[in-house]
Amino acid sequence: MNALLTMTESFIEIVTIICLAAIVVSLVLMVYRIITGPTHADRLAALHAIGINMMGITALIAILIPTTHLNNATLLIGIFIFMATLWGAKYLEGVTID
Amino acid sequence: MSVTEVIVSIFLLIGAFFSLLGALGLIRLPDVYNRAHAAGKSSTFGVIFLILATFLFFLFTGEFNAKLLLAILFVFLTAPLSSLMVSRSAHRTDVPLYDKSIRDDLQETHKKKEKKQQKET
Amino acid sequence: MTFQIVINLIIAIGWMFFTESYTLPGFIMGYILGILSLLLLSRFISDTFYLKRLFKVATLIGMFFRALITSNIDMIKLIYMKKPEFEPGIFALPTTLKSDLEIVMLVHLISLTPRTLSVAVARDHSHLYIHAMDIDSIGETIDTIKSSFEQAIMEVTR
Repeated sequence: MNALLTMTESFIEIVTIICLAAIVVSLVLMVYRIITGPTHADRLAALHAIGINMMGITALIAILIPTTHLNNATLLIGIFIFMATLWGAKYLEGVTID
Repeated sequence: MSVTEVIVSIFLLIGAFFSLLGALGLIRLPDVYNRAHAAGKSSTFGVIFLILATFLFFLFTGEFNAKLLLAILFVFLTAPLSSLMVSRSAHRTDVPLYDKSIRDDLQETHKKKEKKQQKET
Repeated sequence: MTFQIVINLIIAIGWMFFTESYTLPGFIMGYILGILSLLLLSRFISDTFYLKRLFKVATLIGMFFRALITSNIDMIKLIYMKKPEFEPGIFALPTTLKSDLEIVMLVHLISLTPRTLSVAVARDHSHLYIHAMDIDSIGETIDTIKSSFEQAIMEVTR
């Protein structure tokens, strides 16, 4: 009975760890795409997807700890990933941004 | 185990499922443009659900955190634009389309431009 | 539009002074009264009533979310198929939209619809280049883009 009670108390924790595992699997798949991608544009798309999943990981860790201070990090990672993807695309096209 | 926990965990599971779906699409689909479909739609949708679940979790524990809503809005606004930039740079660097592709109108406009430049020079 | 909002705010603040209740419920009550009086007097104002435009913005946002959800459900079918068999291609779509904001909104909406992804915009904003997964069934997609999306965006911005 007691074990069941503690299990239901940490229900969200278990679900969060399962979700973290799923995201780690998807990260591994994306790293595979980065290594074997036939063109550089493939690698750029996979990098963008990795950045988007990094936001998800930050949100999940904020649930696990739990703290609200990681929310700023979530927002900032999103902004930087967008800028990095734009820069990478421009770099592939041959335009340099100072 | 209360109702709020169940709601949060359903959101979390939906988000993780769509993130995994985006990664699978990135592996299985044949060329850059089709992969950009998967990366731009499914990963974004999954992460929106994960962040929404975090927002609901903190809302149920009594802290209203608007920065997470701002992050959702930002991802929602920028993800299609970055997939557009990726596929546009792929097309400008002459990445070929998948073998079964039928039409390419953009290629024709590129050829017209090149012909014009050749005529001018 | 801004003129109507300013008049509405003035009516709300005037109502707060009138009832001497400087609280949020008092302000909301005044705002609702302002909306009602603007509705009554809308014949004498040349512009259309601003909540109508707000309602159109809300329908556009709803369209964005509907496109996001349907495209993801379609993506499930596509990725878990045994052999992905489709014939992709890039086609040009002529648009009547002109300004940068309208073009960005259309690009965004097209990228979120199932099986379409905008690849590039022509330099003179006359065409959009769209990558579609099933180019045979593209006629319906073009029809929906033309009839609903462009119409909704035009109603908001013009």
